[in-house]
Order: sequence, then structure tokens, then C-alpha cells
Amino acid sequence: MFVKDRIGGVLLLIFCIGYALASREIVLLPFQETMAFHARTLPEALAVMGIGLSLALIIFPGSREKLDLSGYSWITASLFILLMVAYGLTIRSLGFLLSTSGFLMLGFFLLGERKVWKMAVIAIPLVVVFWIMMTKGLDVFIEPLPEYFTE
Amino acid sequence: MLEGIFIGLATAMTPFNLMMVVTGCLTGTFIGMLPGLGPMSAIALMIPIAASLDPSAGIILMAAVYYGAIFGGSTSSILINAPGVASTVATSFDGYPMAKKGMAGKALAIAAYSSFSGGVIGAILLLVAAPYLAKVSLSFHSTDYFALMVLGLTAVAAFSGKGKVIKALLMTVIGLMLSTVGTDQTQGVQRFTFGQIDLLDGISFLMLVMATFALSEALMAILKPLTGKDREREREAHENLGSMKLSKDEVKDMAPVIGRSSILGFIIGVLPGAGATIGSFLAYGMEQRLAGPKKGGEFGKGSVRGIAAPETANNASATGSFVPLLTLGIPGSGTTAIMLGALIGYGIQPGPRLYIDQPEIFWSVIVSMWLGNIILLVLNLPLIPYIAKVLTIPARFLLPLIVFFSLIGVYFVSFNTFDIHLMVLFGVVAVLFRFLDFPMAPMILGFILGKMMEDNLRRALLINDDSWSFLWERGLTVTILLIAAGTLLVPLLAPRVQIFLARRREGQGEGG
Repeated sequence: MFVKDRIGGVLLLIFCIGYALASREIVLLPFQETMAFHARTLPEALAVMGIGLSLALIIFPGSREKLDLSGYSWITASLFILLMVAYGLTIRSLGFLLSTSGFLMLGFFLLGERKVWKMAVIAIPLVVVFWIMMTKGLDVFIEPLPEYFTE
Repeated sequence: MLEGIFIGLATAMTPFNLMMVVTGCLTGTFIGMLPGLGPMSAIALMIPIAASLDPSAGIILMAAVYYGAIFGGSTSSILINAPGVASTVATSFDGYPMAKKGMAGKALAIAAYSSFSGGVIGAILLLVAAPYLAKVSLSFHSTDYFALMVLGLTAVAAFSGKGKVIKALLMTVIGLMLSTVGTDQTQGVQRFTFGQIDLLDGISFLMLVMATFALSEALMAILKPLTGKDREREREAHENLGSMKLSKDEVKDMAPVIGRSSILGFIIGVLPGAGATIGSFLAYGMEQRLAGPKKGGEFGKGSVRGIAAPETANNASATGSFVPLLTLGIPGSGTTAIMLGALIGYGIQPGPRLYIDQPEIFWSVIVSMWLGNIILLVLNLPLIPYIAKVLTIPARFLLPLIVFFSLIGVYFVSFNTFDIHLMVLFGVVAVLFRFLDFPMAPMILGFILGKMMEDNLRRALLINDDSWSFLWERGLTVTILLIAAGTLLVPLLAPRVQIFLARRREGQGEGG
């Protein structure tokens, strides 16, 4: 019953229904509504196709393979995802050098490295060289340190 | 044509562009060798760098990365039986058994010579086919382009494999849906922005590609780390490469295979949606049949022909897939879809006008393919024992670096942290759908073609006074749409027809 194709079909069906409902919120000007093709035409057609195909997949799954989620490092992956989110939140406030070095070192740690000097020797020079390459070589400037450091 | 080749040579042979070819080939080989990371991720990772270069250099860099990544994928297929890309799976059938016999060096050399030959022959065929097709496609109207895009999308789904057609179609539709997010440029109407200023310009193409390929592949590797056995296998593989020399008999054995597989691979590559994977499997199957019972029996046990055929075909297909991209502006594969996105990012619209308006880009891509193949052979082959050491870099260092390059690549384009968070979200969703065996390439193709398809349809309606009659009145449009319907219906109906025929035969057998 809960084969991979059906689970995917149900998830995408929910997405397509959400898309269909959201497409009704697209605001058109009065003259646009009478046009043969307006900003809502394609989304509406796609929603119909998406719902139809999701239903087809749920009814006629291509394979009977079941989803097996055992044997994966879920905790490590979840922590890594949180680390990526944290990197996005700190890249501006902490500056490129601190946030990126921290991201890389914590990433190495999460994936099993325990020697701090090894993590620092790989992360810090790489981040500094990368920053120099971007700012001096490609003219892409990014704040290296927190603003209160550089002011 | 000769003039074009000179333009291409003049553009591609500048020291800077040559450096791009070398850098691209080496970087592509390096990335392609990492199990799980294929040409799509390799090109996606290069886009932020390519964006800071001039269009010719940027495209040359990406084309070189493409070739390098295919070559790198073959290396990991042969050495550790872990193809970085689907198109090198067939290479592992004979490459890995040969490596296990202590002849990894020979297998790598066969792969390199075959890739080189396939790439070069493919580039010659491209040289002949592309300008001709570009001239023909000048007569195409927006209605025909719309139909061609429909064909491109349906063909990708149709070639996705047994039992996967509906899934691939659904992912194409999801890609088209994602392309509608943002401000509708023609009417100035906001769609699916949910009041977010960050979504006014739509979803970033680079962000989507990075999230669905590089990031999700890295996350998959974190979820399923290598076992001690895998690591041992990798260590052994790069230590025992053996000789890279080929005997006269082996070269004689390879030559006709290369000739046939190049042509087959190129034709398959030109077809929208088919691509290098199908090309390599078809060439492998064809050669196994042509080899006869004795030589055919060697297939799967380390056959020279078994490595040469898929390697030649996947390179020729990769070259062939540039034909629809350069002449019609329609990508035939996920990889060329990413390249199309990059070209659009430069403000270049590939298509028949590219050949006339920007011949230096058109020709330099073709010439860079030759150069790329030469570099791969001359530079990469001797360097393979050293490049193969990449397989020994511990994943605990490599994966955070890949994730960092993906995130920062996207951030450096927009300087908006919203993109980083959206990318993480898309990456997680992509991992979920990888677990469910949903293909990602059709979604990227749908995303890229979505806006173009809508624009062409709008233009077609405008020209036809808001009448949809062009769909059945213009001969060329109708023909293309019928081919699209055929490509879609045949794989959907073929299994059912086969079952019906088998039952009928059984029934007749019982009756008789």
C-alpha cells in the first residue's frame, strides 16, 4: 500500500492542490481577464496536469518498492542541516571569515573529526585564501569580520 | 564553415580561454570522480565563477567541466565500481572487473582513448550538423518553438525508464510550476510570491540546481557514510593501477567499436531527452551483440570492447546534446538545461540567431570541445594516478567543503541570505524525493523551459489574434506536437501492448 511512488504521489498531490488554490489568488486587472492568455492561464493548466498526474501515480504506481529509512545517519544529517541554517543566519553578522571557519570546523566535527588543530589547519587557511581570491581576484567583496570589528 | 572554425580557434586559443579549458577539465575530473557528484553538480558549482567571466570564457569553462566530469565519472566507475554519473554505469560493467584483475591502468587508458575519440568524432559531426540545423531553424516561428519545447519536455519523461514515465512527467510539471513563481514580466502581475519581496524575481535557477544536485547529493552522502569495506576498496584501487599501455591487438579491437559507438552516441545525444546514459547502454548492448559468441562472452568480465563502447558513446552523446541547445535553444538533457540557464544569465539567447549574432560563442564552444578532449587525453591521463587520490580524501573533510562551495556560490550571486535558507529547504525536499526515486533532471528542464514556453505561447497567440488555431493549422507545429505525443504514448503503451501480445500468443499456443 505505502510504496514509494504512492507516498511521492500523495506529497505532490498536496503540493499541486496548494498550488491550485494559490493560483486563484493571482490578481488580474479587469482587461486582462478577458485575454485568451493571462498570468493565471499557465498556472491553472499546470495545476490540473499536476493533480491528474499525481492521481495517476497514486492509482498506477510504476514500482512496488517500499520506502526503507533504516540504516541512515538521521541525527548527523539533521544537525548538519541546522548548521547550514545557522551559517545563513551568521554570515552577515559574524562576517565571512568567522562564520565560514566556524561552519567548516563544526561540519568536520559533526562528520567525525575530533582533532581541533587538524580542523583549524584545513578550514582557516582555505577560508582566508578563498576570501582573498574573491575580493582581490574576482572583485566580489564580502565583509570579512563583524562590522564592529572593521568600523 | 572554415571561417567559423577560425573564429572559434581565435576565441578559444587565447591564453586565458586555454587556461579555462585546462582548469575546467581538471576541476571537472576532480568533481566527477567523487561518487554521487556528476556533471550537473560540477557545472552548477562552476556557474558563480563562470558568471564573473566573459560569456565565451564562461561557456568554455563549463563545457570543459562537463567533459572532465564525464571522464572523472568513468574513473570512479573503473577504480571503485561507484559511477559518479548514470552515463558511466555501463563503463563499470567491464572497467571494474578489469581493474580487479590488476589492470586498472589499462582500463583507464581504454576509457580515455575512447572518450577522446568519441568526443572528437562527435565534435566533427556537431560541426557539420549545427550550422545546417541553425539555418533551417531560422524559419521556425514562436508556435514551432512552443511545440519544440513541449517535445523536449515529453521526450525527457519518455526516456526516463521503465515505470518512471509518470514520475518524470510529474517532476517536469513541478519544474514548470516553480518557474511561474515571481513577477509575470509581460503583465506585471505577481504570482506565488506570498508577499515576500525576495520572491519577486522568482526562484533563482542556480539556487534550485545547487539545492537539487550538489547539496542533496552531499546530504545523501552524510546520511549514508562509507563503510570500512568501501574505504579499503578505494585505498586498494588507487594503489594498484598497473600499466596504462595498450597492445596492438587491443587497439585493433577498439577501432571499429569507437567508429560505430561515436555515430550511435551522437545521434542519441541529438534526440531531446535521450542523452549520454541511453547512448552508453545502447552502444554496450549493440557491441555485445555484434561481438559474436566468443568475444560477446567476455562482456562483463573485463572486455576491451565493453569499456570502449559506452565510453565512446557517452562522450559522443554529450557532444550531440549541444546540437539542440546551440541551434534551437532547447536543452536536450539536464546538463544542457543548466548550461542554457547559464547562457540566459549572460543575456545570451541560444538558438538559430546565436550562429549569426554571436558566432564567436557558437564556434568557440565547438572548438573548445576539441581542445577539451585533447587536454583530457594529454594532461588528465598521465595525472590520473594523482587525481585518483581525491578518492582517498576523507568524506568528513570533503562533504562540508562541497556544501560550503554550494552555499557560498549561491550567496555570492544575490548576497541574500534568504537564498541560502531557501536552498537548504529545497535540498531537504530533494533528498526526500531521492529516497522516493523521483528524477530531478526533468524538474530542472521544466523550470528552465517554463518561462520560455510561456513567452513563446503568448507570442504565438498574439500573432494569431488570440486564436489557438495555430496548434492544428500550422503544419510544422502540428508535426512536432504529434511527435511529442508519440514519444510520450509509445513508452506508456508499449508495455501494455507487449503484455497483450504475449497473452494472445499464449492463448494461441494453448489453442494450437
